[in-house]
Amino acid sequence: MNDSILIVGGGPAGLAAAHALARVGRHSVLIDKAERLGGAPILSGYAKLVPSGEWAKDAIGGMVERVRGDSLVEVHTGATVRSFDGSPGDFTAQLSDGATVRAGAAILATGFTHFDSLNKPEWGFGTFPDVVTTTQVEQMISSGRGVRCPSDGRKPQRVAILLCVGSRDRQIGREWCSKICCTVSANLAMEIREELPDCHVYIYYMDIRTFGLYETKYYWRSQEEFKIKYIKARIAEVTSDGTKLIVKGEDTLVKRPVTIPFDLVVHAIGMDPNLDNKTIASTFGVELEPHGYLARRNTYGNMAETTRAGVFVAGAATGPETIDDSIGQGHAAALSALGSLGAAKATA
Amino acid sequence: MPIHEKELIRPEDLRTHEQLTVDGVDVSGHWSTFIRSRVVTDYNEAMQEEVAALPGGEFIHRCWQCGSCTNACTVNAVNPDFNPRFWIYLVRMGMEAELLRDKDIVWQCVSCNKCTHICPRDVNPEGVMKAISHWLELKGHTPKSPAMVFDEVFSDQVIRRGKIEDGRTIRRFFARTGQALQQDWLIEMAKRLVRHLPIGLLARLGFSAAIAPRTRDWSRARAAIEEYVQAEHAAQRSALGLDAPDSPATTREGA
Repeated sequence: MNDSILIVGGGPAGLAAAHALARVGRHSVLIDKAERLGGAPILSGYAKLVPSGEWAKDAIGGMVERVRGDSLVEVHTGATVRSFDGSPGDFTAQLSDGATVRAGAAILATGFTHFDSLNKPEWGFGTFPDVVTTTQVEQMISSGRGVRCPSDGRKPQRVAILLCVGSRDRQIGREWCSKICCTVSANLAMEIREELPDCHVYIYYMDIRTFGLYETKYYWRSQEEFKIKYIKARIAEVTSDGTKLIVKGEDTLVKRPVTIPFDLVVHAIGMDPNLDNKTIASTFGVELEPHGYLARRNTYGNMAETTRAGVFVAGAATGPETIDDSIGQGHAAALSALGSLGAAKATA
Repeated sequence: MPIHEKELIRPEDLRTHEQLTVDGVDVSGHWSTFIRSRVVTDYNEAMQEEVAALPGGEFIHRCWQCGSCTNACTVNAVNPDFNPRFWIYLVRMGMEAELLRDKDIVWQCVSCNKCTHICPRDVNPEGVMKAISHWLELKGHTPKSPAMVFDEVFSDQVIRRGKIEDGRTIRRFFARTGQALQQDWLIEMAKRLVRHLPIGLLARLGFSAAIAPRTRDWSRARAAIEEYVQAEHAAQRSALGLDAPDSPATTREGA
């Protein structure tokens, strides 16, 4: 019987789980394959987060600090799990850094992988330097350099944000909605207008999914205060006339083709299952759901269960997820893991 | 099944020949049925700002194209080409040529405000219709409507005198719209007035017509109103990139 809990992944969900366990006096081992903790918001250099507006380096950086300074959390960065054996209450994990971790339960907070826009070549990413991703725009803002055209560093006069890049697209085997891109794009559009008031921002959409309370703060506000224009069109292709990018598609509301010049085109990239999910599934003996994310056994009864007893899951490892919900799921997984230890103890 | 492409043929392009024979072959019927390129090659970003600068157009940028206005519209029920939702979109995206195709029906809005009351985003579509009509007129795409001329004659008089003298209003309205003053119905009305009105009232009417009295101490009010109206007009014209407005001396002459 071992009372420690293994947490795989040091993003928002994993950090939340480690903190929650420490708060109730439980030891945990937090490992991450990257050299730094913080997950996507830190490693990809996100700017201001939805919906709080706090900078990622402050909000998620604060979570990292809290865990780093906690003696109940043992951190291994630059490490992966090589093998994972045993049963609830008594698991043994071999790490790539040579360490052996004994734990009573495990939480997989292994997150997602950003969609690689090279998989949609018709939209110009990788061909034209001024076609970028939402992650790159986040980095332009968070680095303090501001939103510029990568080709020559000029301030864009007109920006197009294309939604659903790598989402809702059977052509490339991605049927899911990535959930956050509409809201993130509206947020970025407002930040662009704030920095460059003379720059016009257009969002090309199929549907707008700024769900729940984001409707007011992002969809409405972006139009009413920041005059962002939303155009119902799925863009067919992005080309160039030598000086400007040319965005082609059909404006479905006027039933007319459009070929509009832009300075900067932004792909609102979706959330793919973590590239390592097949390895993770085989190492931990858990199943994937049909899209390739980690499968949850139970929707309502017990939170965060995978298909293997004693192994739990939280955050974007289960599917596209927001940061705040990932944190909530990290807490839920921590509580479920604690509960499973109690049950294992009772039967031991 | 209707052929969708037929809608795309512009009626102004059509040439119709009832009887046309070329080299002995009968080629009567419609000619020039080519569909012109419908590709939108740029957005005119000034257009939304210009309409928004005119009274009623302020909230056009809120529109999310749900179509509630067009559904609720009184005029749309009798003329399906009257489509507020569509025009709001054309203005927002700056598709000026497309809007101009409908320039002669935009003003048909009857201001019932059903659209205003149903709009989920408080766009105030009725106000936007007015602003678009106004924009078309200021830009010289449509002539001043008779109703507009009447409004001007009426308000010019009020501003100048603080009072209305009906005979003067009618005379000036007819003069400015090129209509004859000697109209049968007007002559008949004058005859009956003379026949039936008490002599005292007739005398007052005649007196008013002759000297057009003004409200006592009106000059300061007039100056204030004129200043305001002039500033508004100047602001609107400058927002639309037009020259300074005509001086009040020329527009209000003889009101």
